[in-house]
Amino acid sequence: MTPRTQRIIGFVAFAGFVVLVALLPAFINDFKAREYAYVGIYLIALLGLNILTGYTGQISLGHGAFMAIGGYTTAILMAGNEQFGGPISGGVKDVWTLPIAGLVAGAVGLLFGLPALRLSGLYLALATFAIAVAMPSTVKRFEEFTGGGQGIQLFGTPELTGSISNVEILGRSLTPNDWMYYLAWSIALVLFAVAWLVLRGRTGRAFRAVRDSEVAAVSSGISLARYKTLAFGISAAYAGVAGGLFAIASAFVNPDTFPVALSIYLLVGVVVGGLGGLSGLVFGAVFIQFLPLWAQGQDLGSLLPGRIVEETQKPGGPAIVYGVVLILLMFVLPNGVAGLFRRIGQLISGRRYPRPE
Amino acid sequence: MRRPSILVIALTAALAAALPAAFAGAAADPGVSSKTILIGGTSPLTGPAAAYASVARGAKAYFDSVNAKGGIAKRTIDYRIVDDAYNPAQTVQVVRRLVEQDKVFAVFNTLGTEANLAIREYLNQGKVPQLFAASGATTWGRDAATYPWTIGFQPSYAAEGFVYGQYIAKTQKKAKVGVLFQNDDYGKDLLANLKRGLGRSGSKVIAAQPYEVTSADVGSQIAKLKASGANVLCIFATPTFAIQAYVFANRLKWRPLVFNNAVSGTSNTMTLASEGGKNKTVEGTISTTSLKDPLDARWKNDPGMKLYRATLAKYAKGANANDANHVYGMAVAYETVNLLKRLGANPTRDGLMKAARSITSAGNPFLLPGISVRTGSGDNFPLQQGQLQRWTKGKWVPIGGLWSSKRN
Repeated sequence: MTPRTQRIIGFVAFAGFVVLVALLPAFINDFKAREYAYVGIYLIALLGLNILTGYTGQISLGHGAFMAIGGYTTAILMAGNEQFGGPISGGVKDVWTLPIAGLVAGAVGLLFGLPALRLSGLYLALATFAIAVAMPSTVKRFEEFTGGGQGIQLFGTPELTGSISNVEILGRSLTPNDWMYYLAWSIALVLFAVAWLVLRGRTGRAFRAVRDSEVAAVSSGISLARYKTLAFGISAAYAGVAGGLFAIASAFVNPDTFPVALSIYLLVGVVVGGLGGLSGLVFGAVFIQFLPLWAQGQDLGSLLPGRIVEETQKPGGPAIVYGVVLILLMFVLPNGVAGLFRRIGQLISGRRYPRPE
Repeated sequence: MRRPSILVIALTAALAAALPAAFAGAAADPGVSSKTILIGGTSPLTGPAAAYASVARGAKAYFDSVNAKGGIAKRTIDYRIVDDAYNPAQTVQVVRRLVEQDKVFAVFNTLGTEANLAIREYLNQGKVPQLFAASGATTWGRDAATYPWTIGFQPSYAAEGFVYGQYIAKTQKKAKVGVLFQNDDYGKDLLANLKRGLGRSGSKVIAAQPYEVTSADVGSQIAKLKASGANVLCIFATPTFAIQAYVFANRLKWRPLVFNNAVSGTSNTMTLASEGGKNKTVEGTISTTSLKDPLDARWKNDPGMKLYRATLAKYAKGANANDANHVYGMAVAYETVNLLKRLGANPTRDGLMKAARSITSAGNPFLLPGISVRTGSGDNFPLQQGQLQRWTKGKWVPIGGLWSSKRN
């Protein structure tokens, strides 16, 4: 296959995927649409994390914290606060808070990218982990804005679109769950395309060069400082938008909403989806959203033998199933789902080795 | 990049979407079929609070024992427990799943103050009962007019704090009280009502030290409380921090009269805190409970506790019967079975809440003798009685009779 035919197939496949996403709610029950909305939200966060970790080679164990920044930005703006003054003191409609959530998280990401320049590998992982650990206490510090440990309740507020009644949009009436689904997925698909555009061009090549060898990248005239901070910024902005959507979908935030474990789940999602590829990330997102439920014997999990389903109802049970599945998956798919796709592609095209990117 | 892969995504995603089975909703009130009543709730099966999972497990064991005897009005109770890892955002998601997909009759026994707060608005707008929230926050009973679909169960933290205050006012002259409290609604509720209980007696709170759930230990707080010159110490903390408080106080050779809140007052926790008898600060601690203590020899031949042990052994194999959280679970399940019985052959959500607002139940076999569960005529706190007790030589010994904070 020539690169040209590959590109055509790619466009057709993406268009097919968009159609699938658009039609999915018609084939599932109303509630499932909400759970698939969360898949879209996690996909956004994974796209961002993969730009940083998969393409630029910088490990982040703190992406849950960037989601928290986005989530709290959205929630605080929606709840409103007299101290803001001006038109926003009364609360901002949910959809309009999302770009702001992305910008705020992106700015924090850029700032964090600066000290991160001096750190690499494990040390960077530890530094990012520290933000995730510090986030809950930081949030409690600013109780008058964040509501402290009790958090911010958004359900039923006029700023939240579709708490309980249907949403009228473009001449159609959507249930609250379908509305959430289309909101999350339309943003996710746009951001997917943006990520693809960024990564296929000059910037993407620079990111990959930094990942593969910093020395080689510098000697080819790539500014490490510029591209590493840029990767942090873009990545954090994606996480911020995801966090904002997460706050809207949950209609609630508090410090435990974005626990340290979330950062780790995101990294697991990227690894399952496949580092350095975009197409597998949907599966990473499905994994984050549904595996904890499957591990409790729900949905697909109900197909497990009865003896195991019984164990999952005991304290600590779901964690064991989750762990076992993860280990098995890494044995079977060491390069994630994207790696599997690559193998299939090689089988179809008959090439033994991947075309150099 | 390999483009063909997206085609594969599309196919596989379609497959994944088609797999999860859709539940068909019942025509009558959700969750009630001719054979079962489906209720559901979250419980931290994983995460930092997984120890509390025994509450749900105890309740499920009791329901299973009732089902084995034919259930209620020919229906069995299907209690679906879902893990929320003690994360309120997760609670919101799985409770929506229980309500909208599984179509439960009621959300029952969800554990944690924050978890229950996160779902209260949603459940009340959807008119879904939030039955017996497992949290002692005062808001469940106090705000019943605003949230008619929510009701708690256990004695409120406010009542507990008040009882300690009154006891100190009655028994101590000019006590100087130092308080260690968790910096959230739960700790603040206890502290405020301790002060209310002290009233105008000569005893006063002279120092109060907060701690965060995220903090590593409470060593510096205990040192400051000792330095304040307090001779009474109130521990309003969860088990880990309560044990630390005892250990640090003992290291500083501080021996105040200690009051320890009920959530850390199980014999398990106290035994750990006493460090094999080496910790002298533990001796003489005062606390309160409404449950029968599985470690208490008084209940060795008690029919209620025999039932408890037999039920747990049969329906929750491998569970540690000494864990008092199981007793709590059975006590709350017992009251739920009573409510469902009152609803008769055609249970409705509306009927369930009406019944929950007019409980008169005495003789719950898992609660202390003499404790009744009552609501009605403006009183929305089901359980408002307890027994003060003193930790004496490795076990709890009751002090006086039952206290009650019933105001009607």
